[in-house]
Order: sequence, then C-alpha cells, then structure tokens
Amino acid sequence: MEHQSIVHLEDTTKIYQQGKVEVCAVDRLSLSIKKGDFASLCGPSGSGKTTVLNLIGGLDIPTSGRVLLENQDLAILTRSQISAIRRDRLGFVFQAYNLIPVLTAYENAEFVLRLQGVSERECRDRVMAVLKEVGLEDLENRRPDEMSGGQQQRVAIARAIVSRPAIVLADEPTANVDSATAESLLDLMQRLNQDYGGTFLFSTHDHRVMERARRLICLKDGRIETDEVRR
Amino acid sequence: MTLGKMAWRNLWRRKRRTFITAFSIGFGVMLTVTFTGTGDYGYTKMINAGAIMGLGHVTIEPRGYNQTPALDKRLLKAEQIREQILTMPGVSDAIVRIMGQAMFASARKTVGGMFMAIDPAQDSAEQNLLLRSLVHGHLFSSAEGRGVVVGTKMAEKLNLRIGKKLVYTTTDIYGEIVSEIARVVGIFETGVDEVDGAMVLLPISSVRATLHYGVQDATLVAVIINDHRRAKSVRDQISAAVGNPQREVLTWKQTQTELAGIITMDKSGNYIMQLLIGLLIAAGLLNTLLMSVLERKREFGVMMAVGMSPATLFRLVLVESFWLALIGLIVGIIITTPWYAYLYYVGLDFSGAIGEGYNAGGVLVDPLFKIRLYKESIIAILAGVFSLTLLSGIYPAWRAGRIPPVESLKVI
Repeated sequence: MEHQSIVHLEDTTKIYQQGKVEVCAVDRLSLSIKKGDFASLCGPSGSGKTTVLNLIGGLDIPTSGRVLLENQDLAILTRSQISAIRRDRLGFVFQAYNLIPVLTAYENAEFVLRLQGVSERECRDRVMAVLKEVGLEDLENRRPDEMSGGQQQRVAIARAIVSRPAIVLADEPTANVDSATAESLLDLMQRLNQDYGGTFLFSTHDHRVMERARRLICLKDGRIETDEVRR
Repeated sequence: MTLGKMAWRNLWRRKRRTFITAFSIGFGVMLTVTFTGTGDYGYTKMINAGAIMGLGHVTIEPRGYNQTPALDKRLLKAEQIREQILTMPGVSDAIVRIMGQAMFASARKTVGGMFMAIDPAQDSAEQNLLLRSLVHGHLFSSAEGRGVVVGTKMAEKLNLRIGKKLVYTTTDIYGEIVSEIARVVGIFETGVDEVDGAMVLLPISSVRATLHYGVQDATLVAVIINDHRRAKSVRDQISAAVGNPQREVLTWKQTQTELAGIITMDKSGNYIMQLLIGLLIAAGLLNTLLMSVLERKREFGVMMAVGMSPATLFRLVLVESFWLALIGLIVGIIITTPWYAYLYYVGLDFSGAIGEGYNAGGVLVDPLFKIRLYKESIIAILAGVFSLTLLSGIYPAWRAGRIPPVESLKVI
C-alpha cells in the first residue's frame, strides 16, 4: 500500500487544545494519494481539510497515527529534515498567495531553487520556462504589489511547481480570484497534471475545483465521509 | 537572489524605522567617540605633562630610590647611560637630573621643598614644564655657577626676587648636612601651587660638587618617548640594554602612581558610562529587530513552508542586523565627523567651571577639552558598535527560526 502512494495517512488523529477544550480536527483518518492524482478535499468549515494539508506538508504533527510522504514518516524527522523535504518534495499554493513581498515574480519563483542550491544559470532556464508556462514571462520583474491577484496566484503556482515536487498542496487556490481567473488557474493546474503527471491535492469549497477533480474526498468532523474517484 | 540582497531589501520596507535605528546607532558612535576621544586626548595630555615635570615617561634610577628617595642613592655614569638611551627607537630625549629634598632659606624665612638639578645644555622648555613656565628672569646659562630658579609661591614665601640670595641645605652622599648659597636668576609659575611653592631648579654640576657626586653621577635619567603607550616596551628595551642590579627602569605608572590611579579610575568610569550607553542602544536595537521579526511571522511561515530551514532564516535576520550595523556606522561617521572636527580643532573651554589651575595627581589639567582618537580606539569603537548591533540581532534571529510555520500561517 505504502509503496504505491506518494502520501499515506495511517489512522491519523490530530487534536488541538483550544484553551481548556480539546478539539479533534482529524479523527483516525486513513488516506492515500497516488502519483498523478488530481484530488480535492472538500467539506464544511471545521471538517479538517486544512489540518490534513498541514499534516501532509509537515507543518504540523499528528497526535497519533502516521503520515508518510514517499514512505518517509514525517513525525520522526528533525526540523531541518522536514524543511529539506518541504523544499525538495512539496509545493505549496496558498489561498492568500503568500508571495514574498520584497522579491519579484522571477525571484519568488526562483526562491525554492535557490534554497536547493541550483546554479544561477539552471535557475534562469527553469524559472523562465515555468513563468512561460503560467503565462507570466513578461512580468518577471514585477513585485507582488504590482500584480493582480490572479497574477500573484500564477506566480505562487510557478513557485510550487518549479522544483518538480512529488505533490503540490493547494489550499483554496481560487478563493481570492474572480471566476475567469479561477478557471484559467484550474486550466493551468489541470494541464500541468496531465502534461507532466504532477500530483495535486486541493482543499476547497469551490464547486469549480470539485467539478474538475478526478478524485473528490469529502470530510466531515475529521473523517472521510465519501471518497469518489471519477473518470 | 542571495540572502544579503533579500536582507537589504527587507531593511528598506520600513524606511523610517531603519533610518531611526541607524541614527540611534550613529548617535551611539558619536557618544562613544566623544567619551573615548576626550579620554585619549586628556590622558595623553596628563601623562605627557606628568612626564615633563621631572621623571619622564620612563625613569632610570638607583634601585630603591622610587620607594625611599634619598640623595645617598646615586646612579653612576648617568651621562653614559643617557648617551646609550638616546639612540634607541621611540626615545625622543633623555635628560640627566638630580632630584632631592632640601631646606631653602632666605633672610626672611626657611621652607622645605624639592630641588631639580639640571644641565641647561640638556634640558629645554619642551622637556621641562618649569622652564616652559618661566615668568621672570631666565634659566642659568651653564651647569655650573650659583644660579637658581624658584616658583612664584616660594618666592612669595621667602620674599625672593631676581638677584636675591637663597641658601639650600640638604644631605650629601655620606649623609652629612651640606649647604650652598645661590642667587635667584628666574621665577616660574606652572599654576600648580604644590610645584610653584616647593620646586627649585639648580645647576647640576654645582649640586654634584655640593653632594660629593662624581662628574657623571645623578639620581635619575628621565626618558621622554614619542608615544606614552609604548612606555612599557621602551622600559623593557632600556632595561635590557642598561639594566643591572644597582639600577631599575620604571614607567610613569610606577613613578607617578597617583596620576596612574586617577587615570585608571577615570577610565573605568568612562568604560562603565560607555557600557551603559551601549546597553541602552542595544536594548533599542533588540526591540526594533524583534518587532520587525514578529510582524513578519506569516512571511517567515511561508518561507519555512516552502523549504527554508530555520538556520537559513536565522542567517537572514542576522544579515539584516549586519546591514543595519553597517548603515548605522556610516550614519555614525557622517554625524560624528563635524562634531569630532570641532572638538579636535576648537575644543570646549571649561576654564569657567574648573578654573585655570585645576590639577589631578599634581599634574595640571588643561581646561580646554579637546578630542583625539588613537587608531586602536577607532577600530575598537567601530568593532564594538558593529558587534553590539550584530549581537542585538541574535535573539530576534533565533526567534525567527523558532516560529512554527503552522502557527504563523494559520492556514496553508
């Protein structure tokens, strides 16, 4: 089972302490995401979507159970090892874009490659190729505050995919953009999934994302309510 | 994009705050330069003034003379020693002198005091404060004869004027009481009552004869050096060349312990003051840097989420401190330069507050406060301020690296 999936959650529970109250965000959840999946987590607020993404991204650790990323148990890794995994094997797309404000579009997209120690020349080739892919090759020198929301989210996608990660985790990627931009962003991610076999896992409320997802995992109270694979 | 470039851009996200912080560092540089510069200048003046009051920066004298000065302790072949020392590097002059206690009597009164027997051919106003302070008459023209130069206060006490007779009584090398008559040829006024009321200049050859000293003998050779900070190394050098069990070579710190004590105490106060200023500035810097880290928690969370390690984040914030330190130093140099130039060339006149005759450890203190920095002080100030700024950045940098990404992001 483990060797077929990129991500595997095994009987995973996450309990948060909110004051004196314990909140169970994820409840004995087991889930596998396979290579090439274009999957979406859906469900009402508080159903545990974000927590699942946090756990897969190594941003949080489970209270019990295991989270395996490419068969590696994240709970036993040090902070620097998890950083290295996030750098080399994961891509993140955030709802609020979360670009680094002092960097240009090019530099934001280049950021992860520089952390990986990729040479400047190779960075240039790869970043320009990915900026072209997301349709921003002419805006490479713009800073985030000089770009629209849709353009910023494209840069965020470029940053997420430029290092060819094992999986891209996208939290509400269309929440802050207009319909047309949302469609074009989804087109882009779908194309990246189909052309390059990139694995995408979304967390969303957006029906457009859910419609396009080839696998729809609905959560409720921290558990999987339905897990539907579409053709 | 290098960390340095990113840190530089981060610094200019809040220009006003960066400028205010840089100015506070710059102000720290200015205060430190002022304190250190007045110290460097003032101590040098005091030490050099002390040196030209008789004993020099380095003194060669008979062993034990420093603890219990007595005229039966002689430095044999002092003139020969002087010749040897004059050729040494760092030595600007060496003067053979006899210094001792005596009773001075006029027709009116008798007072106790000190005499300094000198050779006018060796001594000059440059190396001898008393000669520099002549207000009436002149110095005796040769090492022989019966001329004497007295201070104004002694002249007053003994009712002396130019041409008047003075009898001095002291003990010779055998411990016998000896007396000699002299005639006043000059009167000096240094402004230090203890000197003007007790010191007398006599011709060295006459005193040698009175004390039954040999023609080359004296009680000391006063060595004037180019840089008082090298006193210890010059002493060691002289000691190696002319030292023997009957002689000792001492620095001004050993011969003028009161002055050395005052300077050490003043320096300590100065250091404490500078440390307090440094701590105040460091607290301000720490606050600013910490604030800039805490307000970027989310951004740091994103950086860590996309793979920046805590160590790299630590380095990023530290590089920001580095840039801030550099800008602060540049601002410091810009605002300090005119202030330094003013104090260097014009100075602050405190004669109204402390008067003209203020002395410390028997050394006249110039009421005109000027400033001068030694090269090593400049390096110490720049390095100190720079290090302090970097140190202030360590805790914020550490905090940045410890921020859990999930908390700072809230949602990924």
